[in-house]
Amino acid sequence: MQLTRTQTARVHSRRSLTDVQIQVLFIAPTIILLVLWNIFPLFYSLYLSFTEFSVIKPDVPPAWIGLQNYNKLLSDPRIWQYFTLTGRYVVTTVALQAIVGFGLALFLRERFKGSGLITTLILIPIMMSPVVIGLFWKLIYNPAFGIFNYLIGYSVPNSGPDWLGEGSRALWAIIIVDVWMWSPFVMLLCLSGLKAIPDYLYEAAAIDRASPWFQFWRITLPQVAPLLLIAILFRTIEAFKTFDLVMGLTGGGPGDATELIAVHLYRAAFTRFTTGESSALAYIILVIVIAVSNLYVRSLNRIRGENH
Amino acid sequence: MADIELRQVEKRFGEQYAVRPLDLCIKNGEFVALLGPSGCGKTTTLRMIAGLETVSGGRIILNGQDVTWLKPSQRDVAMVFQFFALYPHLTAWENIAFPLQAEGERRENIQRRVKEVAELLQIEPLLKSRPGALSSGDQQRIALARALVRRPSCFLMDEPLGALDADFRETMRSEIKRLHILQNATTVYVTHDQIEAMAMADRIVVMSQGVVQQVGTPAEVYHTPSNLFVAQFIGSPGMNLVKGHWADGVATLPGGNRYTPPPDWPEALNRGLSSSGVIVGFRPEAVHIHPNGQLAATVYSVDLHGAYTMLVLEMGDDHSIHARVSRDAHFTVGETMRFDLNPSMVRFFDPKNERAVPITNRN
Amino acid sequence: MAVSTTSAPITYATRVDKVGARYQFTRALRIAVVVLYATISLIPVFWMVTAAFKSRPDVVAIPPKVFFTPTIEGFISLLTKRVLLPPGMMEEYKQRTDLNFAERIMAERGQRITGPSQYGQRLLNSVIVASASTVLSVLLGVLAAYAFSRFNVPGKGDLLFFILSTRMLPPVVVTIPIFLMYQQLRLYDTHLGLILLYTVFNLSFAVWLLKGFIDEIPREYEEAALVDGYSRLQAFRKVVLPQAITGIAATFVFCLIFAWNEYAFALMLTSERARTAPPSIPTVLGTGGIEWSAIAAGTLGFLVPVIIVTFALRDYLLRGVTFGALRK
Repeated sequence: MQLTRTQTARVHSRRSLTDVQIQVLFIAPTIILLVLWNIFPLFYSLYLSFTEFSVIKPDVPPAWIGLQNYNKLLSDPRIWQYFTLTGRYVVTTVALQAIVGFGLALFLRERFKGSGLITTLILIPIMMSPVVIGLFWKLIYNPAFGIFNYLIGYSVPNSGPDWLGEGSRALWAIIIVDVWMWSPFVMLLCLSGLKAIPDYLYEAAAIDRASPWFQFWRITLPQVAPLLLIAILFRTIEAFKTFDLVMGLTGGGPGDATELIAVHLYRAAFTRFTTGESSALAYIILVIVIAVSNLYVRSLNRIRGENH
Repeated sequence: MADIELRQVEKRFGEQYAVRPLDLCIKNGEFVALLGPSGCGKTTTLRMIAGLETVSGGRIILNGQDVTWLKPSQRDVAMVFQFFALYPHLTAWENIAFPLQAEGERRENIQRRVKEVAELLQIEPLLKSRPGALSSGDQQRIALARALVRRPSCFLMDEPLGALDADFRETMRSEIKRLHILQNATTVYVTHDQIEAMAMADRIVVMSQGVVQQVGTPAEVYHTPSNLFVAQFIGSPGMNLVKGHWADGVATLPGGNRYTPPPDWPEALNRGLSSSGVIVGFRPEAVHIHPNGQLAATVYSVDLHGAYTMLVLEMGDDHSIHARVSRDAHFTVGETMRFDLNPSMVRFFDPKNERAVPITNRN
Repeated sequence: MAVSTTSAPITYATRVDKVGARYQFTRALRIAVVVLYATISLIPVFWMVTAAFKSRPDVVAIPPKVFFTPTIEGFISLLTKRVLLPPGMMEEYKQRTDLNFAERIMAERGQRITGPSQYGQRLLNSVIVASASTVLSVLLGVLAAYAFSRFNVPGKGDLLFFILSTRMLPPVVVTIPIFLMYQQLRLYDTHLGLILLYTVFNLSFAVWLLKGFIDEIPREYEEAALVDGYSRLQAFRKVVLPQAITGIAATFVFCLIFAWNEYAFALMLTSERARTAPPSIPTVLGTGGIEWSAIAAGTLGFLVPVIIVTFALRDYLLRGVTFGALRK
């Protein structure tokens, strides 16, 4: 034992770092990268949002114009229209994903032969690139030769609705694809939540003469609520940022019928190159996302508090 | 209130028997303990009575009604689980009210009955807390309250004290016993702890490897174990079992000892033993130290327990036995001592079939 | 989650209320519903896979063709540049004996291959960027996660919250300044720029996920190794890393899927040299109209690696999701 100790001490002094050095060495790269790529841009874009500037005119330095960008954006009825559109989109798509995903999880929680395979197959859409999915669904939605209309009963080409060509339908077309793609994500989280509910709670409930319905409302739902809420939070934030899918499917059209706020921001920043104004819009979006996240996190904490 | 009757109830998992065909009649108001080591089928039996597990054969009759294929909710049983199985997201009050709410009981009634049962168990201050914030003893009280509140015809308890600290156990043990006396409800109590079973039960069902070994009152299973398993399992330490030979009315034991049983025994023993082999069993407290005793042994160790002293004695080379003697007696390790056995605490077993030899007219 | 103090594994085979006819019926119904859902949701995927092997008329045929003569012209279109043959030269071109396999197939469609397309290069870019950034974020993530898990780093709570909150930022907010920054640093349209960006984007997630896994590994193992004469670094490498392999695999898959599929940053921060496949697939335009089979071929080729990795690591993945979600 004595021998081992001295050996240890020798090895340490010769070729090993102190714990403090290890901490710095291990953590510093992560923090530095995050500061450079997130915090610096965050402040930079805050500054730009108070200026008049365009990246394609790098010779003209940013000119400080105070709150003008914000004033202009917030009094622009089209921006409000895009926000309303985005809000409608987010609420609809997330609600549908929550229902479909949670429903699937309930159906899949009890194992049966092949349930693992079915679960993995259902997850496939998550693994695909949204822009490619968007593009592909464009073909599927095509009124002349797409299979969507064919499968919902319009067997003659061009007899069904033009999903992407009509303003009111185009948003639903995007919602359908988004729900198709992301319900499995909600399912996955709910499934892991459901599997974490111990069996003995249901045994106790069976002894307590609770009906299946009563068990669902008093045990299953409250127990799975934290994970369901986390899934909804993730999906809400992501839906707010929906960009790839729209670019692949409609590019924001027809007209501006599906110009979600992220698409609009892209257009402002990278096709019209109104950099200052776009930064202001980006900040408005950031504030909304933070506010919404906060709301969720609060209700999540409330639920968790109840569970302990 | 109810009678429980099991007729040839069995449980198989494939070819494997968890419970061999079992007959048991539990009378109304009786407190029956299912006792055995883990894996003996006692919990499975309880779960079959509860309806949490299907039977592979046989019938379960509850209060005259065949409930074999009824759901737990149709059986009018309440159960206390080993790890309480409280609903973690509900407060203690909500946990207790759960069975009443599930039945759609009226609000005032729920309030009143939860209050009553909380008073009975003295848990009123805990009602607003969630299970996670309570000690295991308090959690078990809540679980008991949840079982009691519905006033079912019988209670099933699956090792309810198993998850408690040692000092809590005794308190809860007497509490459960008190509740049983107050409610006088039929109770089936699963435990692996023979002290618990002895202290609480009216009758004990000793099980091992899916087979009922003996059914009897605590005194019966203690004093007249029906086989070697029960003899060893009941009591701490269990019954001393000494191998020997039976011939001419005398049992020859290791270390040159010869034990002559009371005069009316040899006839029964000659009839009951299948060969000359015999196992003599006697409780530690059957040892009666006497300078002219029939038997002799060497003191191996002396354990002081305060109220009494437990000796480990060596009879022959590798036969150690326990003897419980008065705390006033003094012994030194290595000394040889002589003793007699109190015949009412002696059992003879046949080593072939491991069964006790029945002595009909014992004193 | 709220599973309080203790939970014993209860293994039971059958519950009385789970053997009745009604239960069997609802169970069959549930299975039918999920199988139906899986089937419907796989139709688009199936459609895409078949389209990749269809000829142009077959792709757009109504009613849809389930049975068709497979062809690889979609893959060839994806990987080559072609011109239409003038009608007069068609026969003469087809007679030539020096045509290779691909050229012959395209000649049947009246097209002449003039050279490789950029798609191969972009797919290669995708491979470089996705693998490098995934390795980097898992590596940096596991280091930081270990330090946060084992040491009392000053300001630990704040640092961890900071790391997590960066994930909440919508990328659009940081894109503009990063675009400007990249132009200044000459990182615009470079592999390095994209690799670093994806690394940072995955890093917060990787740290949180991996910390959850490392927290689960008992410290005693390392302490035993330290007593046995290992240095901290050796103990980390030989004791902690092997035990964290589940978490590392799960993190790897998540980071890979993100980096492989990412579109928005790649679109805005690359143009030619470093452009990856996702922004280029939509631009695969054929000679006259959209080449759907080429797009399908590109999509399929692009999807297969992710599916292989995911299937190979799917058990880790399922555990990873639970961990990540439970720990936030």
